[in-house]
Amino acid sequence: MTMRTDTLPEAMTVSADEEPVSQRKGTRRKTLGKALLLPGQLISVFVLVVPLLVAFYMSFTDWSPTRGALTSARFIGLFNYEELLVYDTRFVEAVLRTLVFAAICLSLEFLIGLGLAVLFLRKFRGKAILFSMLLTPMMVLPVVVGYTFWMLFQSNGPINQLIELAFGAGASPDWFKSALLAQITVIVTEVWHWTPLFFLILLSGLNAVPENPIRAAVILGASPRQVFWRVVLPMLLPVIVIAFVIRAMEIIKLFDEVFMLTRGGPGSSTETISLYIYKLAFNDFQLAYGAAAAFLVLIGTLGLVHLLLTPVRNQLLEARN
Amino acid sequence: MSDRPLTLPLALLLGLVTVVTLFPVFWILMTAIKPPTDWNAVPAIWVPSEPTLVNFQTLFDPEALGVYGVGGVSEAATQAVFGSLLASIVATALSVGIGLAAAIALSRYSGGGRATPLIILSGRMFPPAAIAVPFVIIFSTIGLIDTYFGLIAIYIAVTLPFSTWMLKSFVDEVPKEVEEAAMLDGLTRVRAHLTVTIPLIKGGLFATTLFIFILNWSEFLFALVLSYTTIETIPVRLAKYVTATAGTLYGVQAALAVLAMVPLVIAGFLIQNHLARGMTFGAVKR
Repeated sequence: MTMRTDTLPEAMTVSADEEPVSQRKGTRRKTLGKALLLPGQLISVFVLVVPLLVAFYMSFTDWSPTRGALTSARFIGLFNYEELLVYDTRFVEAVLRTLVFAAICLSLEFLIGLGLAVLFLRKFRGKAILFSMLLTPMMVLPVVVGYTFWMLFQSNGPINQLIELAFGAGASPDWFKSALLAQITVIVTEVWHWTPLFFLILLSGLNAVPENPIRAAVILGASPRQVFWRVVLPMLLPVIVIAFVIRAMEIIKLFDEVFMLTRGGPGSSTETISLYIYKLAFNDFQLAYGAAAAFLVLIGTLGLVHLLLTPVRNQLLEARN
Repeated sequence: MSDRPLTLPLALLLGLVTVVTLFPVFWILMTAIKPPTDWNAVPAIWVPSEPTLVNFQTLFDPEALGVYGVGGVSEAATQAVFGSLLASIVATALSVGIGLAAAIALSRYSGGGRATPLIILSGRMFPPAAIAVPFVIIFSTIGLIDTYFGLIAIYIAVTLPFSTWMLKSFVDEVPKEVEEAAMLDGLTRVRAHLTVTIPLIKGGLFATTLFIFILNWSEFLFALVLSYTTIETIPVRLAKYVTATAGTLYGVQAALAVLAMVPLVIAGFLIQNHLARGMTFGAVKR
């Protein structure tokens, strides 16, 4: 199996024991290891950790740029958090909306990606070129993807032209004026963009499934369907989970495509968490409040990733040891 | 697993999926070579009868559309192209360099403790819109806002988890014995890494570099909030074109989108076999 769980970031597994550093190899070796890590740690600390700490502090204040220096900000405890969770329906809606988008998009991406990957196990000509073609969307930058679908969904764009061709003149909708239709454009765009990633990861996983258990199952009289559901899919589970975790982490941050497509509109019907935080911070200058929202999102994401990893945690651990 | 041939209905389905996959790219390419008369035509024109490069010309010379009697864009995209190239190339080089050192350390010396990967991963989970908030505050305090230095620093930090874990997965594939043999020949540890380990992962280094370049070149949000007048990248310029000239200058917008897309599609195909590894922090290999 090419899925090498031993190289998983430690955070994805649980309590992986560190390699014991044997005594005789001396301190010079350790020093070199530390020295090599130092630049990366320094830049992570200064560019990620320090800003995060500042943001964390800010989230307990009522600071905004119009009120002078950050040091003079008033400490207001959990007020921002309470406001967000209890009174800010727009935030709660953005969170729920992002989760619904995530659930719909990831399900579709997974199903289509799996279907394509299974098709690619068959024999046919031109497989290599088709494989490259199907990967194209994930190589296009998100902003351009958003822009392209914005064009495709214009009222005089090609999608409406096809709809009129099929259902007659006047049948074509104005995609960006209705909440539901605008939401559909976001989902279509996202699914188009990232299904190839599922396809790619699942195909890697399928190709790595060992032959012997399958042969054994066939000899024992299992039908192809049974082989797929009972033998192949369980072995594919860790790869599926990794694909979901990676995509979940990304889609929760969904911003670029929606920014280009709808800017969250009409109203706030396509507003994702990131878009809402962006608007809070950079349109309304409520930076402290935006920071509190961001931390709630971080806690939620950590919880979600933890939950997603649950079914395979033991498997990953076994593979490591 | 199964070597059955493709049946006709399945082949048709696969064909349909391929068409849907490629259509948006086809559309943007066609729009980029449409003359102004075709941009807003009803019904929409799929393939321009008189393809032109005037849209690309307009990106660098806003007056170029004058021959069609159409007012051009207010600002050329020259600065954005320069900014994207500068920020992406410098940040990629540094991210891969720093990531390589960290990858060797994690693979061979496993220092740094368990907290490092966790910090790195939570960095990925935090919405950029939120990291951008303290950045803007800190950077405007110390004068790094609207500077390439600030933008590049962020790009390095954001891509470092990817470069580190992707490179670590390549270093892990090199047996330790190779370095140990080199050290028996009298090389120091550092020299053994430089002359033995690194040449052995050349292919991986190349793939990682292109992958990090893709991430940097695609980045939008940080560039958007950190740029005022001095710095600009292609994605930011594209967003500005769309806002300022919505529904009018389709061709020019599409030309810039194509310009942004082409290097990435080429880079993506070159490292096609390593994309899964890059996207999954080295967890899935091919």
